Amino acid sequence: MTKLKEHKPSKMEALKAMTPADRRRAIFDGIMNNAMFIIIALVIIYVAIKNPRFLSVPSLVNIISLTAAKLPIALGVGGCIILAGTDISAGRQVGLAACISAGLQLTTNKLFPGLQVMPIPVVLLCVLVACALVGLVNGFFMAKFKLHPFIVTLSTQLIVYGLVLLFMQLGTNGGQTLSGMSEGYRNFIIKPLFTLKTSSGPVTVPRYVLYSAIITTLVWVIWNKTAFGKNMYAVGSNEEAANVSGVNVSKTIILVFVMAGMLYGITGFMDAARIASVNATTGLNYEADAIAACVIGGISFVGGIGKVSGAIIGVLLLQIIFAGLNFLSVDANYLYIVKGLIILIACSIDMRKYLVRK
Amino acid sequence: MEEPRKEPQLRGLYGKVKIPVKVLDAVIVIGFIALVLVLLLGMQNRGYTVSFDSLGGTPVEAQKHMYGEPVDIPEPPTREGFSFAGWYEDRDCAYLWDIENAPVQQSMTLYAKWEPRN
Repeated sequence: MTKLKEHKPSKMEALKAMTPADRRRAIFDGIMNNAMFIIIALVIIYVAIKNPRFLSVPSLVNIISLTAAKLPIALGVGGCIILAGTDISAGRQVGLAACISAGLQLTTNKLFPGLQVMPIPVVLLCVLVACALVGLVNGFFMAKFKLHPFIVTLSTQLIVYGLVLLFMQLGTNGGQTLSGMSEGYRNFIIKPLFTLKTSSGPVTVPRYVLYSAIITTLVWVIWNKTAFGKNMYAVGSNEEAANVSGVNVSKTIILVFVMAGMLYGITGFMDAARIASVNATTGLNYEADAIAACVIGGISFVGGIGKVSGAIIGVLLLQIIFAGLNFLSVDANYLYIVKGLIILIACSIDMRKYLVRK
Repeated sequence: MEEPRKEPQLRGLYGKVKIPVKVLDAVIVIGFIALVLVLLLGMQNRGYTVSFDSLGGTPVEAQKHMYGEPVDIPEPPTREGFSFAGWYEDRDCAYLWDIENAPVQQSMTLYAKWEPRN
């Protein structure tokens, strides 16, 4: 006997079956829960009308490149948010990584006079170890002392900033901006992966877009296909239940923060070569962008909820807004206020989704 | 017996939130209004400032430009015993700014490079 396929009502059919009052309510909920996307779409349309070059190939490639550059840090912070925590030391860790990368790759080294340019794998290893250690401290205090994530990461943020400032004072540098990194290192990051021919000249896609894609795939596998990833979601959604079912909660929390640290390290390693000049303020407020991107992309502060694809969408949308405002020549000072408001609104919308859901 | 109506459960960082949905809606709408106002204010004061640091030479006036415009080439600064060797993106004069073609993309400072005269 053939089994009859069970008929699942589509959203449209479900909407039609409702009473008018319920229907109005459902439509209103839909609008409110997706308000951020609606506003972003309106901003994109407005900018595209004002300055049609915004949707040209070079501009789109630029947005994708920037998205790739910011994706690893967003994925790191995303993991912390899935644990119902957050990480506000992320930006400073990126700064630390960028300073170490630049410091070991200077052609005439003022930090370590006489030091030759180090091989790239050594630099990457140093950066990963340094940031993983910071992540370990974050994770340890969170897991063992049950301290609030904001307090722990605020402390490490300060400690890391102090370390960065001291690092920049080494040798004869005296805290000055580091520039003049080796060609090998810069090429490793920014050399064209491929070149697109457009009407307004060739546009190059840099190599770090590929690296970012590889890292994102790796994070997707870790989050979705490993026991550690499943434990992360379990601890995030209900720590006690996870503990009862045999998950090593402390180990999971510590590992999530170590992994986050390594992702910040990679962001800083790519950023030093991308920006080409590094100082103690590099990475400042990067965590704000990352947190905003995650919340927009549906990685919820409720804990245990969020996908890699959400982080990608969040970072992409945020970069589109910033690129759009950049095209309109809006002063960078306003962007801080815009970012802050976006985080507050995105959190309110996030909260609303789970308040309404019964 | 009627089942007691379940209150929506919030966990994580929202664990202690007790707020009616209507208030939350109002907060979201007010947030968006504030966002639009900030953007409008930002639109009123458009433009990026390009400053010139002549690093010991005669001062050069800052310029204001829209996104994508090239810089107006300023009168080259002068300095006793040195000759001017172009505008650079960084203080160490490692990255030359292509002043004729490169478009302004943000507020920035350009630095003068000096070469000692014999």
